[in-house]
Amino acid sequence: MNGEPALTRAAADRDVKEKMVGVLLFACAALTIFVTASILFTLAYDTITFFGFEETTVVDFLTGLEWEPRNGHYGVWPLVSSTLVVTVVSALVAIPIGTAAAVYLSEYASPKVRSVIKPSLEILAGIPTVVYGYLALVYLTPWLRDIGLPLGTFNLFSASIMVGILIVPMVSSLSEDAMSAVPDSLRQAGYGLGATKYEVSTGIVIPAAVSGIFSSYILALSRAIGETMIVVMAGGLRTSLFDPFDPFGSLAGSGRTMTASMVNAVTSDATGGSPEYYSMFAIGLSLFVITFLMNLASNRIAARYREEYQ
Amino acid sequence: MASETQTSTTWFGSTEEVGRLRGRVFKWTCLGATVLTLFLMLVFLLYVANDALRPLSADPSWLATMGVTVVLPVVLLAGYYYRRDRSAGEVAYTALGLPIFVALVSGGLWLLFRHIVSPQEWFVLAASILVAGGLVTAHSRVRHDAAVERLVVTVVVPLLAVVGVPTVLPSLRDLLSLSPVLPNALFSLVIAFTLPIAAVVGWRVRAVRDADRDGAIAAGITVAGGLAGVVVGPVFGVHPTSWLVFASPIVGALVLYVEHVVRNDEGVSGLAFPIVVAAGIFVGLTAAQTLGFAGPDTWLDMQFLTSSTSTTPADAGIYPALVGSVLIMIVIVLSAFPVGIGAAVYLEEYARSQGRLGTVIELIQVNISNLAGVPSIVYGVLGLAIFINLIGMGRGTAVVAGFTVGLLILPIVIISTQEAIRAVPDSRRQASYAMGATKWQTVRNVVLPESLAGIFTGTILALGRAIGETAPLLMIGVSASVRVSPDSFLSRTGAMPRQILSWSTQITTEFRYGVLAAGVVTLLVVLLTMNAAAIVLRNRTQRTQ
Repeated sequence: MNGEPALTRAAADRDVKEKMVGVLLFACAALTIFVTASILFTLAYDTITFFGFEETTVVDFLTGLEWEPRNGHYGVWPLVSSTLVVTVVSALVAIPIGTAAAVYLSEYASPKVRSVIKPSLEILAGIPTVVYGYLALVYLTPWLRDIGLPLGTFNLFSASIMVGILIVPMVSSLSEDAMSAVPDSLRQAGYGLGATKYEVSTGIVIPAAVSGIFSSYILALSRAIGETMIVVMAGGLRTSLFDPFDPFGSLAGSGRTMTASMVNAVTSDATGGSPEYYSMFAIGLSLFVITFLMNLASNRIAARYREEYQ
Repeated sequence: MASETQTSTTWFGSTEEVGRLRGRVFKWTCLGATVLTLFLMLVFLLYVANDALRPLSADPSWLATMGVTVVLPVVLLAGYYYRRDRSAGEVAYTALGLPIFVALVSGGLWLLFRHIVSPQEWFVLAASILVAGGLVTAHSRVRHDAAVERLVVTVVVPLLAVVGVPTVLPSLRDLLSLSPVLPNALFSLVIAFTLPIAAVVGWRVRAVRDADRDGAIAAGITVAGGLAGVVVGPVFGVHPTSWLVFASPIVGALVLYVEHVVRNDEGVSGLAFPIVVAAGIFVGLTAAQTLGFAGPDTWLDMQFLTSSTSTTPADAGIYPALVGSVLIMIVIVLSAFPVGIGAAVYLEEYARSQGRLGTVIELIQVNISNLAGVPSIVYGVLGLAIFINLIGMGRGTAVVAGFTVGLLILPIVIISTQEAIRAVPDSRRQASYAMGATKWQTVRNVVLPESLAGIFTGTILALGRAIGETAPLLMIGVSASVRVSPDSFLSRTGAMPRQILSWSTQITTEFRYGVLAAGVVTLLVVLLTMNAAAIVLRNRTQRTQ
């Protein structure tokens, strides 16, 4: 009978089907490479268009201290300085709080306390940034003004604090993961030498987890750099160069970050083909490169300096 | 030994006193830092809720009535569960949360039936899918061994049934919709919406109880719950069709959950909790109405949920933006989720770690974790450049918004799905291979069903991230405020977060502390319900593993 050939044909058929499914699934995975490539390509392509305009040159863009598209000034530093201000202030808020929270959750908290605080922090991390921006604009700024800080309606100070609060869960959860990964035998060894819990936490666990902690800082900072809605809603759009001799004056006033400038380029009445419209791609490219390098660095640090435990 | 001579002089503890104070201060500082952020956000959110709901604007006697009928029984019952029966407490919050979560999903479907796919269109679509499914099954019976042919048939037949070949061959769906006799809206939904849900519920109950009768009863209850609207609907002023859309999934889910609780016979008394809450609210509201106590003058009321935005704060509402957000979510679920899950399956089950392909895989993996950290606004620029400027799709449409935000959450979906798949024990796969299953059969029949709960958790969290995203929507030109709800995926749409942003530029107090607060609370309620559901689901699966 022809049972044998039918069977082998069925098997061959199945092999082909398996291959097709495998290729299809590979295509799904490969799409992510395509996404990165197209981000780079589209941003680079339109950045070239941007620098093709008469009033813009690469040198002016990278060294200029004025951002006034109306007058043809496209110096990126005012935007970069505002972004840096937001990043630094938010880091000053988030890093101490986040690290302390991570130490508490990993070393001190009872399982019951952990089971309450961890999901709460997770829910906090799930709140959209437009809500954080709204809280900064409508509640935080008026409160800070009530206690006597000379803040404008739109100011970088409350925007930065909100960004700080936003990235606390990120710092705490990633750092806590790193600290929890430190094997208990190291802690036991510390206790065996007569160390207190404090000495074990600060002298053993934190040094052992330092690579993971640092990589969480870098990730959080990269998140702060790319944060958009909070700075757009609470930080305002006035371009201003950070004044190192009057730091609080710069913080108390409005400031336009790189991300806010991109939003402004599409939502303001800048016409489709104008240099101002295309400036968004140049800024976007800078933003992408900066955050991509930071994320890469974070991964590398976490991987390279990790103490290998069994 | 050297240590013997040293013991008496250089032991660390003897020279320096063990400081308790420093340790305590450190511990409490750490605890303080942990609680500080949570406390701050709680205060903020309480302010928002207070501004949106304005509970204090109500008549004191109204508050007292609700306190007696709702808050008091709830507190007493919660206290009882906490002291006496912890597992009943768990059942209690699940039984209360489940219908709320399902109601949220049904709300999305209701909007879909109202604006995009009419009940009759849905009926026709479901009928064509059913016919296509029947044909595919029949083919696999007749030509059992032709695997490739089956793959082709599985793709082509449904496509022909639903889409057809444009301008050449009309699809089965087009042909059916030309039919002169189509059931009316209510019956279309009974057949194409309630019955499938009831079938799933009945099949599931039948499988776990191993009794045909129980399955039939479960299915019957679900259908009855959906049809009850014909009788009960007019009493509450609810259209029977709307009742059907909400009631069928809620009743179905409740039947499944109650059956589960009763079968395990653990914490059955927790099932009383939602009944007490619902009855309390109903009695309280009726009593307050008959006694003439005025309720609070909230911003977040039916008027807000059902009307479009306006320049006068009292008339402003979020309805069109809500519809827009639902459409965007549907696009994401249909586009980003299958791709993300497919990619995760490939990376976990198919990818080899050696050779040249191994290098590519490693590159993909690093790239995915980097993509997860790319600022959302950059995805907005990508969407603008690719979908709008390059392909030429419409600015600010639901499709473009869904694709753009879908790309944004793709890495999150992939990473969480990978984790879920990794949690499936290898012994299950080996067992499947030992039975002679191929790789794809193993994935389909073993790996995916086992990791389903984990995948659900990850995707719900990702979807929660997606509905709050605003920056990408700004870049692709989603309308600041739409007054008319979108009527297709290709028409210009608004979205909840975008609407919130445009309200925030209004400077009048009514907008800032009223309409805006109500919008934020609406967004947060949707989002927190989803996140809470995901977290509960995860805790449950972690416990069983």
